[in-house]
Amino acid sequence: MNFLDYLASNSQQIVFLTQAHFLVVLIAVGLGSLISVVLGLAVSTGEPDPRRFSLDWFAAGVREGGLVFTAALLTVPSLALFALFLPITGLGVTTAIIVLTIYTLYTVLRNTVAGLTTVDRAVLESAKGLGYGRLRRLLTIQLPLAWPVILNGIRVTTLISISIAVVGAVVQGPGLGILLLNGISRIGAANSFYQVLAGTLLCLVVAAVFEIFFAIVQRLTIPRGIRV
Amino acid sequence: MSDNPDQTAVVPEPGAGQTDTIVLEGVEKIYPGGTSPAVSQLDMTIKQGEIVMLIGPSGCGKTTTLKMINRLIEPTSGRILLDGKDVTHVNGDLLRRQIGYVIQQGGLFPHFTIADNIGVVPRMLGWDKQKTKERADELLHLVGLEPSTFRDRYPRQLSGGQQQRVGVARALAANPPVMLMDEPFGAIDPITRDRLQDEFLEIQRTVGKTIAFVTHDLQEAVKLGDKIAVFATGKLEQYADPETVLTRPANDFVSDFVGGGAAVRRLSLLELARLELHPIETDEKAVGNSNGTPVVEIDASGKPVSWRHLPGADASGVALVTVPISGTVYDAVDVMLDGAASLVAVVDDDGRAQGVLHWNDLVSGLRTRERDA
Amino acid sequence: MSTATPETINTQAQETVEEVEGKKESGLARLWQQHYDLVILPAIIILLLILLFVYIQTRDLDTIEERVLAADNVWGLLRQHLWLAFLSTVLVLIIAVPLGIVLSRRGARKAQGPVLAIGGFAQALPPFGVLLLMAFWLDFGVTTAVIGLTLAALLPVLRNTVIGLQQVDQSLIEAARGMGMSSRQTLFRVEIPLAVPVIVAGLRVALVLNVGTATLASYIGAGGLGELVQQALRLNRINVLLVAGAVIATVALLIDWLAGVVERVVVSRSG
Repeated sequence: MNFLDYLASNSQQIVFLTQAHFLVVLIAVGLGSLISVVLGLAVSTGEPDPRRFSLDWFAAGVREGGLVFTAALLTVPSLALFALFLPITGLGVTTAIIVLTIYTLYTVLRNTVAGLTTVDRAVLESAKGLGYGRLRRLLTIQLPLAWPVILNGIRVTTLISISIAVVGAVVQGPGLGILLLNGISRIGAANSFYQVLAGTLLCLVVAAVFEIFFAIVQRLTIPRGIRV
Repeated sequence: MSDNPDQTAVVPEPGAGQTDTIVLEGVEKIYPGGTSPAVSQLDMTIKQGEIVMLIGPSGCGKTTTLKMINRLIEPTSGRILLDGKDVTHVNGDLLRRQIGYVIQQGGLFPHFTIADNIGVVPRMLGWDKQKTKERADELLHLVGLEPSTFRDRYPRQLSGGQQQRVGVARALAANPPVMLMDEPFGAIDPITRDRLQDEFLEIQRTVGKTIAFVTHDLQEAVKLGDKIAVFATGKLEQYADPETVLTRPANDFVSDFVGGGAAVRRLSLLELARLELHPIETDEKAVGNSNGTPVVEIDASGKPVSWRHLPGADASGVALVTVPISGTVYDAVDVMLDGAASLVAVVDDDGRAQGVLHWNDLVSGLRTRERDA
Repeated sequence: MSTATPETINTQAQETVEEVEGKKESGLARLWQQHYDLVILPAIIILLLILLFVYIQTRDLDTIEERVLAADNVWGLLRQHLWLAFLSTVLVLIIAVPLGIVLSRRGARKAQGPVLAIGGFAQALPPFGVLLLMAFWLDFGVTTAVIGLTLAALLPVLRNTVIGLQQVDQSLIEAARGMGMSSRQTLFRVEIPLAVPVIVAGLRVALVLNVGTATLASYIGAGGLGELVQQALRLNRINVLLVAGAVIATVALLIDWLAGVVERVVVSRSG
């Protein structure tokens, strides 16, 4: 039996696990992006006045603190985070999604903050001068202009999440990691190598699907005037 | 130009030419943590239809003053009145929708089409789509951009000069009586800038807005301003028409700021029509006269073609140069220097010689006028 | 912008250093002003460890748990773990950094685009899979684990190095050539010294990645702290699981922190 035969005869299981992998990543990235973008928007602010205490200070604190904290989380090995959440949220998909979501936070938050702050000052000033209120400025000027950077952050975090999701199998999270764990525990048995190979390579297939997905989203959501 | 209100203006107030449109009363700005005020106790009045140029060295408070008028910067104390109404405490965003605002490089929204950029304020004010679109086309036309070519483009597809024109159109969109301009032509190359300034004056002739205009370029201030406000470290040092600022600076600061080039700049304020010109003869009989009147030879249509006689010299070989009477002394000097001529014939719109300006009496003439004034 | 590496943290740190250096202050006060943020993370870690210790002390551990959590066992696994991470990091640096420098040479610049694209895409390639495939191909054990870890971290670090070198100011290189330095002299006296921060950043990325992936080495019989998690799962012991997760997280955070400190020292030295 060669690799293709293996794929053909186990296609049902393989397709199911690939779909599950895709969905887990999609849900986690969706959740994480939503949290990060909303947080990034909420704490986006001008430079706080160093001599007067205001809400800007609080926002800047949350922003910088949030970046440091989520960056630290990203350095924690995924196995550790899965282990720490297992006693709380149990075996299965919940733990997998929570942990994956945590890993998506930093990249999206960082890109949201960077995207919002690099919007041309002249554009912001003229918006203000034409009578745009703060919220309108944020949602109709800053967010669309920052969107390409934010979207790129979501793209990158998706790629990373695909490879982290594999480890989720340790806590019985769904996805291609199951093929890897099965394969290694049955090492020497028939097709165990193909199982691991398939699990690894199909991650790249999932990544390719996401890349196509993001190319389409980019095309549809980036305003024409700022498309490169 | 103040009695040419915008054709599309709702109802221009009758006899509005002398109304005080913008009034600053004891306006002061102290930035948090700053010790000395950025603008201190400023009183200033801008009449309807006037272009007032705010000028001064950087950090003098001119931009702060401008931005306090639409409350982008909140004054620390004092009152600001627009058309007699105190706007110091009204909602800033609503206020700004009633005031045109143009900044350097246009500040166009890169993700909006040109038409959408122009329609920003009208849409916020609740105009319907059709009216907004028509207004955008009308304004594109006004600023010299063909609507069918430009309305669906994006800002980055336009040159800097074109973007700046759109910036002006956007500020005019909701037909605000007042416009604030913050160095709008500052980032544009000199040749385009000159053209934009001319167009700007042309537009102002039809719309007749009340305009406060920040610049760091004295040349621009002299060219565009009905009045010039010279600022120094938060204080208004002089507020007068350009000629007064150039010829009679209020104090040492203004005279230093106006600087050594003032005499030359002043030339561009002196219109030839206001000068007493020396007589000129076109009659053949006057050749060889002893009262110093030069004689020109004219063609069939009455236009001078060459010198016939010059006082105390043989006229042959001296190039004839002319300058239109609608020009300024600056233009006359330019023509003389360019043609290496010591005198210039001033001609009217039909090209007929009206008089002569000598290099020598140009200088003494200016001196005389200064004493007169 | 495009990888989840600590590069932005670096630049932020640099900015803070520059800002504060403007103020003239002496000795310790200045050191504190510049680097007070470095104290935050260890403080948090110590606090968490104390909490964990208190928690474990209040539990009645059964004999299995006690055996797994015995200091000897944990200490041994930790040493295995660090050794794996250390070896693979050294290997990654030996391979990826020179390769990155080669790619930045004029002749090889064309290859940069594909390397960056593949490197970006390869982030989706699970290190766990790479590790397991190595085990099938070679054998279980430490050597295989080191090779697998090295392979898994190679592309990300190479990518980072290439991006970092691209950011070296081209005008400085031009100035060096303009002063008459040879291409070789420029490389060794200008480009590489300027790229030191890049290399150190690469070291940090490689370390973080390898410490993380090394937790999975236990699945191919190479030991390391992942063994604790595996044992906890096999024995179904929550307490062991918590300790294992906390220890791994602590080790990873501390190593990243140390690398961050080294990075800051190097960056401030090289201007």
